[in-house]
Amino acid sequence: MRLNDALLGAILLGFAGWIWWLTSFFPSFPGQDYGPNLFPRILATGIGLCALVLVLRGVRNRAPLLVVEGWVVQPRRVISFLLIPLAALAYILVSDPLGFIPTAFLLLLGLSLWFQARPLVALPVAAGMTFLVHWFFAGLMRVPLPRGVLDSVL
Amino acid sequence: MDPLLQAFGLVFDPFVLAVIGLSAVFGMFVGAMPGLTATMATALLVPVTFFMPPVPALGAIVTATTMAIFAGDIPGAMLRMPGTPASAAYADESYAMTQKGQLNLCMGANLVFSVGGGLIGVAVLIGFAPMLAEVAINFSSYEYFWLACLGLTCAVFMSNADPVKGFLSLFFGLLLATVGIDPAAGFPRFTFDDVNLMGGVNFIATMIGMFAVSELMRGAVTVDLVTRAVPQAVGSLFRGLGDVTRRYWWNFLRGSFIGTAIGALPGAGADIAAWISYAVSKRFSKQPEKFGTGEVEGIVDATSANNSALGSAWIPALVFGIPGDSITAIVIGVLYMKGMNPGPTVFQENPQLIYSVFLIFILANIIMLPLGWAAIKSARQILRVPRNLLLPVILLFCLVGSFAMTNSLYGVVLMLAMGILGWIMEEHGIPIAPLILGLVLGEMLEQTFVQSMIKADGAFLEFFSRPIAGSLGVFTLLIWLVMLGRGFRRAPVPAAA
Amino acid sequence: MTLLSRRTLLAASGAALTAPLAMPALGQGNWPNRPIQLIVPWGAGGGTDATARIVASLLERDLGQPVNVVNRTGGSGVVGHSAIATAQPDGYTIGMITVEITMMHWQGLTQLNPTSYTPLALMNSDPPGVQVATNSPYADIKALADAIKARPAGTFKASGTGQGGIWHLALVGWLQAMGLKGDHVRWVPSNGAAPAMQELAAGGVDIVTCSVPEARAMIDAGRAKSLAIMAPERNAMFAQVPTLNETLGINYSVGAWRGIAGPKNLPAPVTQRMATALKAAYDNPQFKEFMTSRGFGTVWQDAAGFASFMAEGDRAMGEAMRGAGLARG
Repeated sequence: MRLNDALLGAILLGFAGWIWWLTSFFPSFPGQDYGPNLFPRILATGIGLCALVLVLRGVRNRAPLLVVEGWVVQPRRVISFLLIPLAALAYILVSDPLGFIPTAFLLLLGLSLWFQARPLVALPVAAGMTFLVHWFFAGLMRVPLPRGVLDSVL
Repeated sequence: MDPLLQAFGLVFDPFVLAVIGLSAVFGMFVGAMPGLTATMATALLVPVTFFMPPVPALGAIVTATTMAIFAGDIPGAMLRMPGTPASAAYADESYAMTQKGQLNLCMGANLVFSVGGGLIGVAVLIGFAPMLAEVAINFSSYEYFWLACLGLTCAVFMSNADPVKGFLSLFFGLLLATVGIDPAAGFPRFTFDDVNLMGGVNFIATMIGMFAVSELMRGAVTVDLVTRAVPQAVGSLFRGLGDVTRRYWWNFLRGSFIGTAIGALPGAGADIAAWISYAVSKRFSKQPEKFGTGEVEGIVDATSANNSALGSAWIPALVFGIPGDSITAIVIGVLYMKGMNPGPTVFQENPQLIYSVFLIFILANIIMLPLGWAAIKSARQILRVPRNLLLPVILLFCLVGSFAMTNSLYGVVLMLAMGILGWIMEEHGIPIAPLILGLVLGEMLEQTFVQSMIKADGAFLEFFSRPIAGSLGVFTLLIWLVMLGRGFRRAPVPAAA
Repeated sequence: MTLLSRRTLLAASGAALTAPLAMPALGQGNWPNRPIQLIVPWGAGGGTDATARIVASLLERDLGQPVNVVNRTGGSGVVGHSAIATAQPDGYTIGMITVEITMMHWQGLTQLNPTSYTPLALMNSDPPGVQVATNSPYADIKALADAIKARPAGTFKASGTGQGGIWHLALVGWLQAMGLKGDHVRWVPSNGAAPAMQELAAGGVDIVTCSVPEARAMIDAGRAKSLAIMAPERNAMFAQVPTLNETLGINYSVGAWRGIAGPKNLPAPVTQRMATALKAAYDNPQFKEFMTSRGFGTVWQDAAGFASFMAEGDRAMGEAMRGAGLARG
């Protein structure tokens, strides 16, 4: 998926403008010309200049506005693609109430089954990896992984 | 009794050797796992070493970090995911080599030159500790400002892509680095009243997102396709290395030297050493156009550099109690806990302990050869694991790794956002590496700039008033001029189809 | 195969459903019955981290459950302090809070203040020192003070921490006590005491007002010297360094302190058990030995004492920061 340079440049110009606008709310540093807004403004200017070049280039080249790869029309592929960020999102939302072990297990199992792993393989791998990761991180490395519903058992 | 003999007695003790062995395995594993860094391994070793005597405690840290910095190269070559930030500079290059079927040569070179670079770093630590630190200690914010500028110049050096898009990526990285409390007035910028954003954009979580999650998203689309034939490169890791050594012995020495020098600078560690030496390698190569296409040349420089930086980072830590990098920051805490207060006096008061640390460094680099070989051989199994099982497991590692970096879900949210951003960037041919470097050096750049301006009462010429700062500054400006000149002379690049 | 996975799933979800029912019964009375998190708002390897880790290891032996030190860094301490304040008040998340909690809210960085916590104990406090480079022309604090007074504002540059941090306030307070304006010496913000000491050694700044233990490595390296400490009495580890009071007749003292606290409304059984455990940890010779070896001061205040100590410190900080123009909002 690739936007035309002109379109990308226009979006980035807007972004640079937004950053500049945000910096206008920063307080100034008493008695100095270089406050907290100096660096962000230099960078916004830099992004803006790059964006301008992209716009000019895009207008000159007249490429299509959006170029997409073939897989975008194959629903199964699109779902596979979206599943990665969605799985991360699911982890963010449910790992705290549910706990690490059930979340990780369901995540591993669900994803590998969707990717057409054989259940006989997927099940032990999901269970094994969940417990291995939990043992290493929560046990050995003492990372505070959420305990969730298994709180009283662990 | 002679302190050196005492040191031998302290190190070659069954308990100490057992601790070293276990830490080596631990370090290999942590380094090979994307999302687990050598710094994290050190931080998490501290509670384990809390009630140990000084020598095994320091031995565990030295060994684990030495192994982790090397082991970070393994997933870089096999999965295009650097195991530690220090391997990020050449992860793309290593992966390209793997795809060309040169996994053996790539891993062999990584292993041998890591050991070599590590030993050179240790030799410098032993020989020149007080002298080198004397130079680095005289650096003030002016020198650091120019150093940061040089580092950022490397980002543009390294980017193979369209320079406009390279700069775009760099500016994005620097902008990300401004999120959080600003270094001048202590004002929270771009935090949108979120407490986590006040802490800034976590570098590791960003890296996991940019390097791993975006790769997983690409991989998920093709997971059901027949996987490319995994390079079954069985056989000797060391074949062809003689030739590489003959051709690139200078790269090895140069990388080790640059790594040692950067490691000895307070605040700059193995990762920056790898970035800079890779860029230097490309700049002075006879075939710079081959960089990024799977050439061993830049890898020789960078893999020697990051391991050599590890040893020399102990120089300012031991001599002045000033961390050479984030690992030695933790080491200093351990030294205090063990009553070995860092400072020049420690060389007089506890020479046997210092010699023990040196011995363990040498030992760790030597056992890295067989252990690294074993790690590479067993890590190959990763590539044989079916991708439909591997993908979810890697995602789990990413989730847990980024969680562990902030000890909260903020790391995971950041990882997800950066993963999506990284995917979009790659789709548009915007390189990721400059963004990462901008994020790493952004704070140093702004902090040292503001400090210098306050100290100079606003007079920019003060940036050149000190001999070293002046030389660094002139050097940086010269590079910029050369780059500008080249940019003008180069014919306008026809837009990619 | 499908049957197998389905059955396992059912069993798993069955366990998941019954678990919360069993929890309250187990969770009562015998605190602690699972690992405790000790949140540290500062990075691994620093002084706060080291202090927290020794306390955690002593608590662990006393309470019989692991006490895990969790570093939540960033935002000049805001991130970690809010993590402690917003944790579940069940006794399984406590933290080490530092002097910044009496300062950040005056700067408008956060709403959190000392009353956002259940104070448990004050363990440590370190006074600021006045450090100069070894080759500095000022042999003692008197000569330095006279030179500062004699020269125009902005001649001298000082560093030690970020803008509005504790060591900045120490400088401001000292200058004000000498009858000067708070910005008579220009503050160069730094990322902590160690980089500031390096600037001092490299000749970048003239004065660093961090605590003496933080300056120690540079002093031992012969790169810096400590001219005075801003405390009522001398530090036993650095007995040769005089106080401001005995040299300049200025009775000004602030300090960077560290204490243990939990989120607001910790249950009484937890606070009682913690009170004895923390007292035992404080009295443990291992703790004393560790703190002395690093030159850290040990101070004890129980929960009530800690609360009034923080309230008083908060008031004084507010006054000082408003006076120095560092307060916002």
